[in-house]
Amino acid sequence: MVLKLYGFPISTCTRTVAATCKELNIPYEFINVDLAGGEHKTAEFTAVHPFGQIPYIDEDGFKLFESRAISRYLAKKYAGNGPKLIPTDPKEEAIFEQGVSIESFNFYPSAIGYAKEKVFKPMFGLTTNEERAAEHLETLNAKLDAYDVLLGKQKYIGGNEYTLADIFHLAYALAVVEAGQGGLFESRPNVARWWEEISNRKAWVDVIEKGV
Amino acid sequence: MVLKLYGYPTSTCTLRVAVTLKEKNVPFEFIPVDLVGGQHKTPAFTANQPFGQVPYIVEDDGFQMYESRAIARYIAAKYAGVGEQLIPKDLRESAIFEQGASIELTDYEPFVSGLAWENKFTQMYGGTKDEKRAESLLATWRSKLDAYDKILGQQKYIGGNKITLADLFHLPYGSVLLGIGIDEFSSRPNVARWWNDITSRPSWQAIKDGL
Repeated sequence: MVLKLYGFPISTCTRTVAATCKELNIPYEFINVDLAGGEHKTAEFTAVHPFGQIPYIDEDGFKLFESRAISRYLAKKYAGNGPKLIPTDPKEEAIFEQGVSIESFNFYPSAIGYAKEKVFKPMFGLTTNEERAAEHLETLNAKLDAYDVLLGKQKYIGGNEYTLADIFHLAYALAVVEAGQGGLFESRPNVARWWEEISNRKAWVDVIEKGV
Repeated sequence: MVLKLYGYPTSTCTLRVAVTLKEKNVPFEFIPVDLVGGQHKTPAFTANQPFGQVPYIVEDDGFQMYESRAIARYIAAKYAGVGEQLIPKDLRESAIFEQGASIELTDYEPFVSGLAWENKFTQMYGGTKDEKRAESLLATWRSKLDAYDKILGQQKYIGGNKITLADLFHLPYGSVLLGIGIDEFSSRPNVARWWNDITSRPSWQAIKDGL
C-alpha cells in the first residue's frame, strides 16, 4: 500500500514532506484535509494528530505527524533512493543537526511570523499587525547576516552537501518571497547563491509547479 | 583536555547541553560567557557562533559546534553506549522520537520562551511586560498542554515509551516558568506524572540551579 500524505496543497509543512518524497523518489498518495471545513479539528482527526495540524502520514497503519519528523523518518528509511539527506559520518551529522536547529530557531520563527502577518492573515480576512511584522523583518535581517557568514564557509546550511536542513527552509523562504521580501536573500551574496540553488532543485520545482 | 562548554550558568540552552552531558557522564569544563557585558556580540565570539548566541562547544581535537539541541544529539550519538539510549536506534522508534522532538520545538518552545520573556526576562533587561501577548501565549500553551496530556496518556514519554532527548529538551524552560509561579503541569495528570519523572533524574538535579 502506497504511503498516504494527509495535508493541504499550499501548506508549508505539507510541501516540506512532499519535497522530501520527491527528492527520494518515494511514491505517495496525497489526501486533502478540508481545513476550511474544520476537518483538522474533528475528533476523528485529533485522534490521529492531537494538535489538530497537518500534515501526517499513514504508512500501512503506522502514523506519524510533524513534517520535520516525517521527513527525517523517510530520509532514513529510503536512504539509498536519492541524495543523502542525512549524513552518517558523526561530525558531518553534527553539522547537519546544527543546520536543522539553525532553521528551526534562527529562521522559521521570524520567517513564518512575517509571512503570517503579511500573507496568511490577509488571505483569511484578518488584520496585519504591522508592528509585529516589522519586528519579524528586523529579526530576519539580522539572522540572514549570520547566514551570509555561514554560507561563505560552507556550501549548504547543514554542511557541504544538500540535506534536509536545506529542504526545511524551502517552504518558509518561499513564503518570505511571496510576502515581497525576496530582496533579503538576493542582497546577500552567499545567501543568494544558496537560495538560487536550492529553490531550483527539481524536486522543489515539481512541488510548486505540479503540486503536492 | 576535556570538552569545553561555552555558555551562561543559568541559560536554558546551556543547561539543555549540560543535562545531556550529565546523562552520559561526559566530563566537561564550563566557560562562562559575559552576556551582560556583551561578550557574545564581539567579533571574537561571533567567529565561533555567527548568531552571537550561547552555548557552543569545543572538543579537544578542535571540533566545534553550536545549537543546544544539535550539540545534545551529537553527544547522545557519540556516547550512545553510555547510560540511556537518548535517541532510539530502531527506525520506527526513532520516528516517534523525532515526532516528540518536533513537538517540543513547535508546540512548546515558542510559548514557553515567549512566556519566560514576558513574565521574567524582559524586566531584567529594563523592558515592560506585553500583557496581551503574555495572555495569548498562555492561552495557546494551555491548549497545547491539553494535547500533551492526551499523548502522555498513551505513551510514557514525549518521544515514546523510554526517556529520550525529546523529554530533556523540555526541562530548562519548564523549570523557569515554575520558578516564577506559572504551573500548567500539576493540573494535567499525565503531564504531571511525566514532569515529575523527568525532573527527578539525577542529571537534571545536578545542574538545575545553574552551572
